[in-house]
Amino acid sequence: MAPHEGFSLIDLFWQAHIVVQLVMIGLILSSVWCWAIIVDKVLLIGRTQRQMNRFETVFWSGQSLEELYGTLHNRVNHSMAALFVAAMREWKRSHEGSRPAIASLQQRIDRVMDVTIQRESERLESRLLILATVGSAAPFIGLFGTVWGIMTAFQAIATSESTNLAVVAPGIAEALFATALGLLAAIPAVIAFNKFNSDVGKAVARMEGFADEFSAILSRQIDERG
Amino acid sequence: MRAGLIASLAGHTAILVWGLVSFPDAESFSVPQVETLPVDLIPVEEFTQLRLGERNAEIRDVAALNPSETPEETPPQPADRPGDSQVQQPTPSPAPAPPPPAAEPEPQPVAEPEPAPAPVPVAEPEPAPEPQQEAAPAPQPIVTSVAPRSKPTPPRRAPERETEEVVDQVAALLNKVEPAAAAGQSSQDPASLGSRQGAQNIRMTQSELDALRGQVAQCWSPPVGAVGAEELKVRVRFNLSQSGDVSGSPEVLNSNGNPAFRAAASSAVRAIMRCQPYSLPVAKYETWQEVIINFDPREMLGG
Repeated sequence: MAPHEGFSLIDLFWQAHIVVQLVMIGLILSSVWCWAIIVDKVLLIGRTQRQMNRFETVFWSGQSLEELYGTLHNRVNHSMAALFVAAMREWKRSHEGSRPAIASLQQRIDRVMDVTIQRESERLESRLLILATVGSAAPFIGLFGTVWGIMTAFQAIATSESTNLAVVAPGIAEALFATALGLLAAIPAVIAFNKFNSDVGKAVARMEGFADEFSAILSRQIDERG
Repeated sequence: MRAGLIASLAGHTAILVWGLVSFPDAESFSVPQVETLPVDLIPVEEFTQLRLGERNAEIRDVAALNPSETPEETPPQPADRPGDSQVQQPTPSPAPAPPPPAAEPEPQPVAEPEPAPAPVPVAEPEPAPEPQQEAAPAPQPIVTSVAPRSKPTPPRRAPERETEEVVDQVAALLNKVEPAAAAGQSSQDPASLGSRQGAQNIRMTQSELDALRGQVAQCWSPPVGAVGAEELKVRVRFNLSQSGDVSGSPEVLNSNGNPAFRAAASSAVRAIMRCQPYSLPVAKYETWQEVIINFDPREMLGG
């Protein structure tokens, strides 16, 4: 066993076994990826909630739906605005032409809004599973690195035929570094996954509520015109 | 997504750099300097060896086990192994010599004040500041073979001095005290066992005696229920053959008014007989040919 040079992070990394090094690299990469997802989701969910708030104020401000559709339908819309545009587009299309298809318009609108909600929630939930996976698997990966490192450390102890703490300690310290990295990656991932999961659930519930309300309004319109 | 990735990479790099800066290396524990204590492995035999003092033995420079720091005020203590010294050492008494006032703080050579003419030059050369040396100056010129002892001792008799009468007085005073010469005095344990052959070097160690005692104690069923059972000390002397068997019959040495004493004594004898043969070092047979064991219910049972 080579004499131990130091305990800085770099030293701990370079003195580790190749398997442990791979584990560490993998854990660092997964941590980077997790945090990228976390930052992205924080921004996305915040933006979505702001958009929904703004749209609701505009929608319930008494503005005519036609006008609202006019301003929105050319943009790329998300969440509630997307719901509204999808429903209005279906409404418009059904009233176009010589023979308006009013009979099952209500069902079509509902279907369209369902699909839009599904698409939106998919967009919000994307990559959350990565967080869950990292959160549950990273400790095990780190533990694997630690076990492997301790295994090699004990082999080194056996060959050096000394149980001096100076011989035992460095290998174990290196090995434990892997578990530390695993926990470092896993803990934020788990916390973030739980938070985002509930946030997405709330956002989707809000969209479903809006969809029902809007569907009711349109249904009234259809019946009045019918 | 790109913003998140960039932010994440930046954060990780920052943490890594911070870790490199703030954990450059593990600080070694600052272990307080521990003074190394020299440890000698000494066989317990040296301390528990039973030895009878001899008056005409060669003088030896043996330090006292408990060197006394206050030579004047302490009650008389037997000198360490007094029998070893060539000159008989009287036990130090609080007033070793009549003349010097006891309240005198600075220990002076005792011979100085009263026997005015002669000892003055003697006391002069070495007024040793160390209290332990105080006795040395006086006898030195007289008994040249006697080395200064570490134990504070009052001046030895100066038989050939012209102040003989004074010294004789002192000697007469001091001789009233029994010369403290007893075997096992240096040991803290009660002398539970002795031997008639104590004049020889007895190398039966206390631990071996304890082993014998333990062997006997295992077989002893003490008088538990008797009134004042803890007072029933039985002192038994018995002879052992070389194989460890009891030869002859054990002899109870003491007696007691307690009615249960007879039962206790016979139980002690039975214990001795039942536990034979005893395993003791044959090489030291002379020392355990005859042993005396105290059967003390408190010690042998209470442990």
